[in-house]
Amino acid sequence: MTNIEEIEELEEDTQKDKFLLFSIDTNYYGIDIKTVIEIIGIQPITEVPELPDYIRGVINLRGTIIPVMDVRLRFEKEYREYCDRTCIIVIETNNVMVGLIVDSVAEVAVIPNENIMEPPCITSEGYRYIKGIGKCGDSVRLIIDCDRLLNEEESRSISDFNV
Amino acid sequence: MSDKQNEPMLDMFLFETQELLNELEQDLLLGEKSDSLDLAKINEIFRIMHTIKGSASMMFYTHIASVAHSLEDLFYCLREENPKIVDYSRLTDLVLEVSDFIKLELEKIEQGLEPDADPEQIKNEMNQMLQKIKQDNMEMEEVNSMEQYKVVIFFDEACQMENMRAFTLIRELEDITNDMVYTPNELFDNEEALQIMRKEGFQITFLTNIGYSSIQQIFAENPFIRNFEFVEDLCEELVISSNHDDITSCSDESNCIKIEELKVEENKADKSKIEECNIEEHKAQAPNQKMISVNVNKLDVLMDLVGEIVMLEEMVMKSPDLEGLKLPNFNKTATQLQKLTGELREIVMSIRMLPLSFTFQKMHRIVRDMSKKLDKNVEIVLEGEETEVDKNIIEKISDPIMHLVRNAMDHGIETMEMRQRIGKPITGTIKLSAQNVGSDVLITIQDDGKGLNKEKILQKAKKNGLIVKPEGELTDKEIYNFIFQPGFSTKENISEFSGRGVGMDVVAKNIENIGGSVSVDSEEGKGMIVYLKLPLTLAIIEGMNLKVGASVFTIPTSIVKESFRPKSNDALMKEENHEMIMVRGEVYPILRLHHILNIKTEITDLHEGIMIMVEQNDQKICIFCDALLGQQQVVVKALPSYLRRMNQMKYLAGCTLLGDGTISLILDLANVKKK
Amino acid sequence: MKKVLIVDDAEFMRLSLRTFLGKHGYEIIGEAADGKMALDLYEKERPDIVTMDLTMPVMDGIESIKEIMKIDKDAKILVVSAMGQETKVRDAILAGAKNFIVKPFTEESVLKVLSTF
Repeated sequence: MTNIEEIEELEEDTQKDKFLLFSIDTNYYGIDIKTVIEIIGIQPITEVPELPDYIRGVINLRGTIIPVMDVRLRFEKEYREYCDRTCIIVIETNNVMVGLIVDSVAEVAVIPNENIMEPPCITSEGYRYIKGIGKCGDSVRLIIDCDRLLNEEESRSISDFNV
Repeated sequence: MSDKQNEPMLDMFLFETQELLNELEQDLLLGEKSDSLDLAKINEIFRIMHTIKGSASMMFYTHIASVAHSLEDLFYCLREENPKIVDYSRLTDLVLEVSDFIKLELEKIEQGLEPDADPEQIKNEMNQMLQKIKQDNMEMEEVNSMEQYKVVIFFDEACQMENMRAFTLIRELEDITNDMVYTPNELFDNEEALQIMRKEGFQITFLTNIGYSSIQQIFAENPFIRNFEFVEDLCEELVISSNHDDITSCSDESNCIKIEELKVEENKADKSKIEECNIEEHKAQAPNQKMISVNVNKLDVLMDLVGEIVMLEEMVMKSPDLEGLKLPNFNKTATQLQKLTGELREIVMSIRMLPLSFTFQKMHRIVRDMSKKLDKNVEIVLEGEETEVDKNIIEKISDPIMHLVRNAMDHGIETMEMRQRIGKPITGTIKLSAQNVGSDVLITIQDDGKGLNKEKILQKAKKNGLIVKPEGELTDKEIYNFIFQPGFSTKENISEFSGRGVGMDVVAKNIENIGGSVSVDSEEGKGMIVYLKLPLTLAIIEGMNLKVGASVFTIPTSIVKESFRPKSNDALMKEENHEMIMVRGEVYPILRLHHILNIKTEITDLHEGIMIMVEQNDQKICIFCDALLGQQQVVVKALPSYLRRMNQMKYLAGCTLLGDGTISLILDLANVKKK
Repeated sequence: MKKVLIVDDAEFMRLSLRTFLGKHGYEIIGEAADGKMALDLYEKERPDIVTMDLTMPVMDGIESIKEIMKIDKDAKILVVSAMGQETKVRDAILAGAKNFIVKPFTEESVLKVLSTF
């Protein structure tokens, strides 16, 4: 076996079951650490017209222009002014890079697979992008399905924005 | 050595060999135009084959090495023995065959297949060629002792009838040489020739076995020669027909060329020294020597780093710690730093831009190959090859252009016989040109062939149910452009070249995929022209930045006619929801950007903001924004794919990074106006 | 001393050529007023150099050159042409004349040309 494969395996290993936890309001959410590229503070955001309001615009990440999504708005919670605790989590799935604006980043936690359960069948907006509920001691962490977070069509049709 | 470790070397081998072969073809085809091959080119081809031989055997591709070796041998003979009779056309064919052979093998290697072609046949052919050259030139032994001279002569203007003087001189020289060319070569009834002789002198190039001093004497003694000099230039290959009295007869049939290096100096040692340094010079001049290949990923990283530097610099300059401090030295240095980083940024941006020349040059080969096979005589004319386009775009337009050229060769240009019959020049012409038009790059492929058949297209369009409006309302251009519809090929029989199941619709799709557009125009019997309009995406444009609310937008400066602040006495009109303004007696519609883009701004009174008059597609319109921020060169980046996928960006053509790292959105005004 | 045959139908031209060539060490062995006469004289005298006018009665210069070349393929003939006679000069050169001068000529140029003969 070559070194590269070993390293890859090792990385795979160290990232296993790890989730980056962030908070919105009182809820803690988890993102699979493998999709996270980096965490940065809030940046000047360039607004882009013709987009749904949860896409706040684009930022310049060292020359790469990436869109940023306000997760609060995506979850249909009310808008809150950004402050120095506000973070942007840059994630990449399926070659798409997006920044997620969250209230604050908490920690990296290990949640073993057996501690993650199927989400309850609730149609509430907050659960549309949840793929599992992880138990972490006494509290729960909502595991985010990044693919759905990025790609799920909104309930409102996009044409509404083009009026 | 495991395979994995070997990979970078293999990549390098594949890459380098391919590059070398491309270089080779280019050299060769340019040479074929002048129907000769000069020493520099022979050396170049020899060098390329030598390199390929070396690296192929390193990689244990012995059959590639052996083929390269055979060709190297052939060129060794050309270089060392300097043969006078070479069937040039055959030689070119052979070199191209070798190039193709190796290319095919490389392709197999690239795809992980076993490179298994049999090199024997092609090696045999080269051997035969080598033997033939050697044989042909044995009889020419005495010629070998001949030396070549080029002389420029100025006749005494008082001697009158300079053309006759030249003619007499030529007659005189015929005593000492059989091989001679001279310019101007039309000496009689040619007022122009006289002018040329007076201005540039009368040039004679000839081959002779009498010594330099005797030759010099001939010119020195001629009473009508005011001045003469021996010219030495190795770059100019000398094409002289020996054994043929008629110099012009040296054409298709004989296909003879003479490959001669110029020897003027008598001193042998001196001579070889001069040759050597001349060859060195040639190498230095060859464009390929100035190029290095860089992994594109590295360029991307470089670009990002520079972006970051620029941003950080901005932060340092505007650091709150500096506020209120008087720092003359700091400011001075800072300004210099700013200037340098600005330049750095520009250079890095321009690195990704490549001229179209390489893509264009490739067409020579296609035209050449097809001309031979289709029995058509076609010349390809290239224009604007130096136009620079982003590397990504070049990669994507190469195939469409190739396809269109093939199509023109195959279906456009008539056979020689046909052309003769209908009174067209026997040689057809395909013109490939590129230019910057505003913020686009426009590439046109034009041929003087038979053009499109409107009736046939119309019928087919009807059959395919493409016609949605009354036939009478269709313009010619609309009809012609049906050929870009899927499954549209009026030619039933598919040929080796442009058949292959790829139609014009694929060309159109490929171009549209990178945000470009295709259109065609034609005149039956006279030819057709295809326009490829490539988008601004990734191209560098001169942009004008404007502000609306908190946002910055960029529009291509090329479309801006003027900008002005509307005065209170300017005639403004409002009709329903359409605002208009009268400028110098003309009425133009007003487009409020804040309105259309739904941006909050305090400046909504037309007298407080700025009007920018833009022109696109022959339409003028006044755009209203808060303020103008200035002008700069910007690299157009595509919007993130996530956004493009999410919504059709109607107003945005892309985005760009401004000098301070902020993002500006590039407006697509063609679409803004449609709304 | 080189022997020269002067061929010209104009007495004036013959006179001037004779005078200055004689002055510069050429021996004038004969003069002819037409091409036919020139041919006869050439055969008889075998001069080293012939100066030949082109437009002459009886037999013109070009014909004469052709005939002389038949007798002696090494004959050295200098054409003395008037201005604007390009075609004729060309024909003369093709017929075998070695060089030409244009009237009015300078003595110097004539001497220079002849020195190469």
